Amino acid sequence: MIRYSIITILLLLAAFIVQQFLPAFTGMHDSRILLVQLVFLCCAVTVEQPAMLLLAFIGGFFWDAQCALGPHGGDPAVYTQQVESMRFGYSILLFGGMGYLMQGIQPLFKQGKWQFSAMLSGIAVFLYLAGEYTMITIIRGDLTLTRATVLQMTYTSLLTMLFSPFIFWMLFGIARICNYSINPEAGRRRRQY
Amino acid sequence: MKPLNLIALLLFLGGAVWSLTRSDRSVREIQNTYYSAISPFLKSGSNIETHARAFLEETKHSKELDTELEITRQQRDRLRLIESRFRALEYENVQLRHALDFKKQTNFDVVAARVIRRNPTTWWQTVEIDAGSKRGIGTQLAVLSNEGLVGKIDRVDNSGDRSSVLLLTDEKCLVAARVEGSPEVGILGGQRGGSDGEPMLRLKYLSPNATVHKGQRVFTTGRGGIFPANILLGTIVSVEKDAFISEALVRPSVSFADLGAIFVVLSQDS
Repeated sequence: MIRYSIITILLLLAAFIVQQFLPAFTGMHDSRILLVQLVFLCCAVTVEQPAMLLLAFIGGFFWDAQCALGPHGGDPAVYTQQVESMRFGYSILLFGGMGYLMQGIQPLFKQGKWQFSAMLSGIAVFLYLAGEYTMITIIRGDLTLTRATVLQMTYTSLLTMLFSPFIFWMLFGIARICNYSINPEAGRRRRQY
Repeated sequence: MKPLNLIALLLFLGGAVWSLTRSDRSVREIQNTYYSAISPFLKSGSNIETHARAFLEETKHSKELDTELEITRQQRDRLRLIESRFRALEYENVQLRHALDFKKQTNFDVVAARVIRRNPTTWWQTVEIDAGSKRGIGTQLAVLSNEGLVGKIDRVDNSGDRSSVLLLTDEKCLVAARVEGSPEVGILGGQRGGSDGEPMLRLKYLSPNATVHKGQRVFTTGRGGIFPANILLGTIVSVEKDAFISEALVRPSVSFADLGAIFVVLSQDS
């Protein structure tokens, strides 16, 4: 269990590096595969709550370290109404929320129905982006939701979801190596037959 | 709830609160540590990417050559290949001359750099360039291309050879702007969220009865302490007016989809 959890943390950190080289699809409203979020979501459904929260903290913390923007700078007399930045650390809460969502269908996953988790990962990514956009809107004001923004979120979720079977396949392999059963009920059923 | 889960949740919330209360300076330190840690991977990744691209281009060229050889099987093909190579060199030469002319024409002390990659964020518009503090680059410096203003330096890597540029298309990149042939001044910035096709900019805080119209060009005013004056920002596409304010939608002069060579303004003669 501990060995498996450590490997999932390393997998999440590796996802951060790979994410740097994944391009945006300009033809699809600049949507992209959110590998970090996907790896976290897939891992979240396979581990216990404390490990999921640790993964959420690491994921959110490093995601913000990667993306946070600096202060505006410039003369405040000219730039009187500056655009607010998101506070460092907000992603930790979003990752945590997504993690709990994934854990909600853990019973199904334990029965071997990983397809539901794969589908939910797409929904969770959409909710993550929608939550992030809502937070930006609340902090900066001026509610604008264009068709392009909705399409960008939808395409990003779908593209990310397409890769979830691959991540689950990797996790099943890692679990086998670590002698850790991530879907014990399915294994038990198989043995009965 | 199990006691272990409750303790984990409390620790998680404590960690989140700790992160949310970091000052800008601490955040910058965290970011520098993060990028220092991953920079060896980024460097080797970039090298692999460059080699892969070169290999693919080579493969593509050889395939093209094979096709041509099959069609004509004569020396003419070799000449065509040489000609195409000359064209590539000529094109490269024109580009370099253009960049050199731009550097000569400007009254600024500029550093030329290349865009390495676009940062993997959904809502922020930033790119990474291959120049950093080793070449005199610091934060809040204006970044230009030969088409106009690109943005400003947001973060400089500890390694000293990379920086991050906040693009003009980002909502957070604000520029004091003036409209050509009119006394109107305002603040230009990017728009939130995705865009249908090319990104647009929004020129805000114009006077309610602003006499601006489609086709007028927008330049920097030079006020605000970051961007030099008279740098082209874009062209007005449409004007929206109501009783209290006027705003204009501006098409950026720079093509952000294919940014290549850019220039960081170190100091201004003026």
